[in-house]
Amino acid sequence: METSAKKSLRSFYWTWVILTAVGVGLSLWLPRRYMPAAMSNDAHLTMTTMILFSICAAPVASGVYAGALHVLRHHRYRGDGVPPPAPQIRESTKLLTSWITASAILTVFVLVWGLGALAAENGSSSSNPLVVNVTGQQWVWTFSYPGTHVVSDELYLPENREVEFRVTSLDVTHGFWLVNMGVQVDANPDVITTIHTTPDKLGVFEVRCEQFCGLNHAFMDAVGYVVTPQKFSSWLSAQPARA
Amino acid sequence: MTTTLEHATTMAQPKGGGLARHQNFATAIVAGVVLAWVGWFLGRHLFWNGSDNWSDQVTILTLLGWMLGFWIGIGAFNAPFQWLLGRDNTRADNLYYAGDKQGRMRYWKFTTDHKVVGVQYIIVTMGLLAVGGILAMAIRTELITPGTHFVNQQVYNSFIAIHGMVMILALIVAVAGPWGNFVMPIMIGARDMAFPRLNALSLWTLVSAATVLVGTLAVGGLPVGWVVLGTIANQAGPGMDFFAVAIVIFTVSTTVASVNLITTVITMRTRGMTLDRLPIFVWGTIITAALALYAFPFFFVAEANQIFDRTASTSFYVAAGGGTSWLQANLFWLMGHPEVYVILIPAVAALFEISSTMARKPVFSYRTAVGAMVVLAGLSAVVWAHHMFTAGWAPSLSGPFMVTTELISIPTGIFFLVLVGTLWRGNVWMKLPTVWMFGFIFNFIVGGVTGIYLSDVPLDEQLHGTMFVTAHFHYIFVGSVLFGAIAALAYWFPKVSGRYLNEFLGRLSFWLVFSGVQLTFGAMFLSGLKGMPRRDASYSFAFEHTNFISTIGAYMIMSGMLVLLGAVITSWRSGEPSGPNPWRANTLEWQVPTPPPLENFDVLPVITEDPYHFDETTVNA
Amino acid sequence: MDRSKSLGVALVSVLLGGGALALGGFVLASNTPHQKALQCIESSTHSHTCSVTLSTFPDSLEGVHGANGGPHPDWVTYSNDNVVVPANTTVNMTIDQYDTGGNVNNPFFDSVVGTNGGTAAVNGKVVTHVALGDTGHTFTLRGIPGNGKTLFVSVPLPYNFGTKFPVRLGTGTYPKPVVVKFSFTTGGPAVYEFNCEFPCGGSREGNGFGEAMQAFGYMSGTITVK
Ligand SMILES: [Cu+2]
Ligand SMILES: [Cu+2]
Ligand SMILES: [Cu+2]
Repeated sequence: METSAKKSLRSFYWTWVILTAVGVGLSLWLPRRYMPAAMSNDAHLTMTTMILFSICAAPVASGVYAGALHVLRHHRYRGDGVPPPAPQIRESTKLLTSWITASAILTVFVLVWGLGALAAENGSSSSNPLVVNVTGQQWVWTFSYPGTHVVSDELYLPENREVEFRVTSLDVTHGFWLVNMGVQVDANPDVITTIHTTPDKLGVFEVRCEQFCGLNHAFMDAVGYVVTPQKFSSWLSAQPARA
Repeated sequence: MTTTLEHATTMAQPKGGGLARHQNFATAIVAGVVLAWVGWFLGRHLFWNGSDNWSDQVTILTLLGWMLGFWIGIGAFNAPFQWLLGRDNTRADNLYYAGDKQGRMRYWKFTTDHKVVGVQYIIVTMGLLAVGGILAMAIRTELITPGTHFVNQQVYNSFIAIHGMVMILALIVAVAGPWGNFVMPIMIGARDMAFPRLNALSLWTLVSAATVLVGTLAVGGLPVGWVVLGTIANQAGPGMDFFAVAIVIFTVSTTVASVNLITTVITMRTRGMTLDRLPIFVWGTIITAALALYAFPFFFVAEANQIFDRTASTSFYVAAGGGTSWLQANLFWLMGHPEVYVILIPAVAALFEISSTMARKPVFSYRTAVGAMVVLAGLSAVVWAHHMFTAGWAPSLSGPFMVTTELISIPTGIFFLVLVGTLWRGNVWMKLPTVWMFGFIFNFIVGGVTGIYLSDVPLDEQLHGTMFVTAHFHYIFVGSVLFGAIAALAYWFPKVSGRYLNEFLGRLSFWLVFSGVQLTFGAMFLSGLKGMPRRDASYSFAFEHTNFISTIGAYMIMSGMLVLLGAVITSWRSGEPSGPNPWRANTLEWQVPTPPPLENFDVLPVITEDPYHFDETTVNA
Repeated sequence: MDRSKSLGVALVSVLLGGGALALGGFVLASNTPHQKALQCIESSTHSHTCSVTLSTFPDSLEGVHGANGGPHPDWVTYSNDNVVVPANTTVNMTIDQYDTGGNVNNPFFDSVVGTNGGTAAVNGKVVTHVALGDTGHTFTLRGIPGNGKTLFVSVPLPYNFGTKFPVRLGTGTYPKPVVVKFSFTTGGPAVYEFNCEFPCGGSREGNGFGEAMQAFGYMSGTITVK
C-alpha cells in the first residue's frame, strides 16, 4: 500500500517535470513563431518578457495540471454507488506555506522584471528624438513632421534614432499601435499623449487602431517604413508641401 | 387595451386580495408598455424638435416609463402601498405571495419564496445566455473569412457591445442568482431571505433591465464596444440611451440583491451556524455581494453622467466642454474589474463545495480559502487602471497598478491549491459536476496565466486591444465561470427538480464545449499574438487560418450548449429520480425534502460542527 | 433515459437550435444587403483599364436608399456602396459632386493622395489640392491591414457652388455636378473600404462624424478587387 502510494507520487513528479518541459518548449517557440517581427528596442523587450513570463508560468501551470491528472488517475473512485469517506485531511501548513511562498517569489520576480522593463521603456535615452505628430480621425492616421511641411498617410522613420510620437485625435478615442514596435497609446481628442521608441530594423511595419472607433474601425490602419537616415531625409524632401 | 390600462392603475391601490393577486409577467409587460407610451408621449411634447421621434430625452423618458410600469404591473409596490394605507399583510397574504399552492403560475409572478426566485434566476440566466450566444454565433460567422460577407461592419459593430454586456449580465447572475437564492438560505438554516419582497424585486428589476438591454438591438444596436468609451458613445444613436438606462436599472437590482444576501447571512443563520461553520459557498456569496455593493454604483454613476451628457447638455465626457472621456473610463473600470470577481467568486466557491462532496473530504484549508476570496475581493478594488495602461491617463501610476494587479496571482493561486488539495487523496466521484470542475481547472490556468502577461505594462503595450485580451477573458468567462456554473447546475439540479441532470448528455455537452473552447479561444490567442485588434468586422489575410479555427470551435460550443439545454429540459421532465440527498452531502440543503417545502424547515436545525466531515454514516445516510 | 434516447435528445437539440440559428442568420444576411454591385467597365481599347462613375449627393432624394429618400431623406450619401473592380487594373474613376462643403478638420484631406500621377482633374483642370475651405466631400480609399503595401487613395471632391438646380434625380433637384476624374491601380484580390473624410454627418458634439458617416451605405462603401 505504502509503496504504491509512493510510486503514484513519483509518477506525479514525473508528469510535472514533463509538462514543465513541454511548457518551456512552447514558451520558446510560440512567441517567436507568432508575434510580429520585432523592429524596435521595445519590441525586443516585449518578446523577451513574453518568453520569460511563459517559462516562469510553465512549472506553476504544470504543477496544477499534474495534480489534476494525478487525482484523475489515482484518486478516482471506480466502484459503484457512493464513494467511501476519504482521509479527512483539513490542512497542511507545510504545503500551504510553501505554496504561498513559491507563488509570492514568482510574483515578486515577475514584478521586479516588469518594473525594470517599464523603467527601461520610459527612460528617454536620447536628448534629440525625432518628433512625429500623429493625428487619428475616423478612420485614417496622418503623420506630420514638425519643422517640415510634410504630412503623410504613411509613416517613415529613420533607423536607430529615438522617435517621440505626440498623439492626438480629431474626434473620438483611437488606439495608436505600432504593431512591430511593441508600443501603443490612445489618441484622445483635445489631449496629446506621447510614446517613445527606437526603431532598430529596416523594413515595413504595421500601424493599426486598437481602440474601437466606429463604423470603419476595422480598416483604420497605415503602413510604415523604417529606412536609413539618408533615405529618410530624401523622402522628407521629396514630399509635396501640403496646406 | 382600455381595460388593461384600468387594471394597471387599479393595482396601485390594492384592496387586499382582488386584482393585486392576479398580477403576473403579462400584466407587468402591459403596464410597462402603457407607461412607456406615456413617457414617449410626454417626451415628444416636452422636447419635440421637429423631426426626431427618438431624441435622447424622449428615449430616456420612454424607458423610465417602461421600468415604472413594469414595477407597478408586476406588483412590486403593492405591499408598501398597503402599509401606507394602514393595512399590513396578514399571514395568509404572505403565504399567498410566497406562492403557496399556486403551481407553476408562481414562477411568473412577484413571488417571494426564495426557491421560486432561484428558479426564476435559472430561467433568466438561460435566456440571457441564449441571446448572447446567438450574437456570438453571428459575430463568429462574420469572422469566418476576411472581408464583410455575412453582415456589414455596421451590423457587426451593433452586435459586439450587446453580446458583451448581455453575457456579462448572464454570468453575474449565473451562480449567485440561482444558488445564492435557492440553496443559500437553506444552507444557513433560514426559512427565507431576510427581505423576501426585495428578493422578488431584484429579480424582476433584472428582467426589466435585461429587456431594455436586448431592446437596444431594435434601435440600431450599440456600435461602440461594451466599454462604451465616452467619446465614441457620444456619437451613438438611441441604442446608447437604452444601454445607459439598462445599466441604471440593473444597478438597482444588484444593490437590492446584495443588501438582501448580506443581511440574510448576518441575521438569519440558525443556532450554532457560527462563521467558521458556514458552508464555503455562503462565504463566496456574501463576499460577492459585498463586492457588488461596492462596484456597481460606479457603473450607475458612469451611465447616469452619460444620460446627463446626452439629455441635459452637461459635458462630463465631452472634451470640448471641459469634460474628459478618462472620467468615464475610470468609473467604468472601477466597476469593471471588481465585476470580474463578482462573476468569478461564486463559481469558485460553488466548486469548493462540489469538490469536497465529490472527493468525500473536507474543503482543504477552509480558512485560507475564505481569506483568499476576501483578499481577492479587496485587491480587485485597487487594480482598475490596468485597463488603462495605454490610455495615456496617468502613466506614472502604471507601476503601482502593475504591482497591485500582479499580487492577484497569490490569492488566485490559493484557489488552485484548495481545489486540487481537496481532491488530492480523495475518493473522487466522477459525476457530472466533477467533470465540469476538471474542465474549470484546466481553463482557469490558461486564463490566469495569460492575465499575468496583460498585467505587465510593457507586454500590455503590445497585447492591449488585441484578440489576445479577448481570448484571455473568454477563457475566464466561458472556460472557467461558465464551466463552474454548469457544475453548480449539475450539482444542485436534483435539489430543484428531484431528478439527476442526464449524465450522458451532460458529458457529451462537456466534451463539445471543452474542445470548442480550446479551438475558439486557443486560436484566438494566436490571432492576437499575430496582431489582430479586437472588435474588427474584417481582418487581414494574415489572420485567416486562426479565425477559421475560432469559428469552427464556436459552432462546437454552440452545439454543446444546445445539448445541455436539451438535457436540462428532458431531465427536468423525466430524468432519473434522485431522492433528497443524491450526493450524500452534509450541508443543510440536502437534509430537507426535495423539493424543499415552503419555509424549508419544520423545526430549525441546530448546528454542532461544520458540514465537511465525511464518515461511514454519510455514505449510508 | 437509455443511451439511444439520449442521443436522440442531443440530435434534436442541435438540429432544432442550429436550424433556428441558421434560419435567423439567413434572414439577417439577406436583410443587410449591399447595394447592387457597380461593375467597373473594362475598356475595349486599353487592356487592364476600366472606368466607373460614382456621385455624392447632399441628400438621399435621388433614390439610392428608396423612394423619397428612404428612412433618412436628409442624409448625405454616395450613390453606391458596392463597387467591383478587376485585379491589377488601372481604374479610371469619375465622381460627380452635387453637394456644397466647407472646411475639412484635417487639411491633409484638401490634397490629392495616392492617385496615378498624384493628381486629379476637376472639371477638366488638373489639380493636386483644393483651396482651403472649398472641399465638399472626399473619396478616401484604404485597404485591409496586413496585406503588405496597402492601397491608399484620397481625393477631395470640391465644393459645388452651383446656384441653379437643373438636374432632377428621383425627387431631388441638384446643381450641375463638379466632375472629378482620377485613376489608381489595383493590386491583387482584396476588399477595400472607402468613405468620406469631410465631417458631413450630423452629430451631437458637432464634429460631424455621426449619422450618415456612421451608417454603412451613406458616406462609405466597399471596393472589391476580384
Ligand atoms: Cu479604431
Ligand atoms: Cu481588470
Ligand atoms: Cu462627406
